[in-house]
Amino acid sequence: MGLGKFVEVGRVVKINYGPQEGKLATIIEILNDKRVLIDGPTTGVQRQVIPIRRLTLTKFNLKGATRGARTGVITKAIKKNDPFTQYQNTIAAKKVAKKALRAKLTDFDRFRVMILRKRRSALLSTQLKALRKNNAGGKSAAQAKGGNKKK
Amino acid sequence: MPAKKRTVRIGNWYKSDDEKVHFVRKRKAPRPAKLRKIVPGQVLILLSGRFQGKRVVFLKQLKSGLLLVTGPFKINGVPLKRVNSAYVIPTSTKVDVTGVNANQIDDDYFKRTQAQRRKNEQGFWAKRGELTAEQQTAEKTRLDGKRNTQKSVDAALITAIKKTQLLKQYLGARFTIGKTTRPHELVF
Repeated sequence: MGLGKFVEVGRVVKINYGPQEGKLATIIEILNDKRVLIDGPTTGVQRQVIPIRRLTLTKFNLKGATRGARTGVITKAIKKNDPFTQYQNTIAAKKVAKKALRAKLTDFDRFRVMILRKRRSALLSTQLKALRKNNAGGKSAAQAKGGNKKK
Repeated sequence: MPAKKRTVRIGNWYKSDDEKVHFVRKRKAPRPAKLRKIVPGQVLILLSGRFQGKRVVFLKQLKSGLLLVTGPFKINGVPLKRVNSAYVIPTSTKVDVTGVNANQIDDDYFKRTQAQRRKNEQGFWAKRGELTAEQQTAEKTRLDGKRNTQKSVDAALITAIKKTQLLKQYLGARFTIGKTTRPHELVF
């Protein structure tokens, strides 16, 4: 395991604990081995001191963040190159979003998801059967997927 | 001739002076239960009784405080029924009930008729065949009347339900809890 993510000025972090749980911010200053100053003007995180223990480091960095930079400077840097939207496109962020969406499903939504999953599975199995018949013996890599949405 | 004595009939039971009356109901009629935000047309999940887990459509609150619901009958077999709002989970799904007329249905609709009560009096041994011909025809007309009311109420409801995809199947299915479902975390 290489040392990939460092606690450094500009590191994009995710807050794990506390009232701001789930939000992203950038490290502005390192105070000691346990606390940092973070700021997230575009993500709704107030400039604050927070223990490192409450953060997860992401692999993204905010270019143009200097040590102790004020919120205005940070906002400008974000406008130039936004690492927060880059983070939302990662698989980890998408999983979190999916989980949040699933938690919001109503009873009727859950029923519809169940029906759609069954339909998709039925489509897949008929396609697979047809492919198996055609390629008797060979494993087919290409499987046509049904056009159904899955939440 | 001795004076006629006035006699007071003492029954078998009379109140002693120091008898405590534990609970005196001041209100003669029960107060209808306050309806937590349940709206006509809302789909409810029944939690107890023969139809547990069934999803039904709420029509209105009756004077007794009970909720009037219907399956609709054709969709899930639940007839016009009174239900206690405590044994119900309201979901966020709503059906358009503007065309549904349930005005003529109230608590009296569900009252047991004389014939029914008489039948129950005979108890276990009473069989359907033992009704007189008159009673049988009365029963038949009563049940036909009920079927017609059911149909008339459900007709508009079913056309409204058919407009939403999968809603009919949703109402036909029961709500179940599996091993991994956490009811306290579910959004209804």
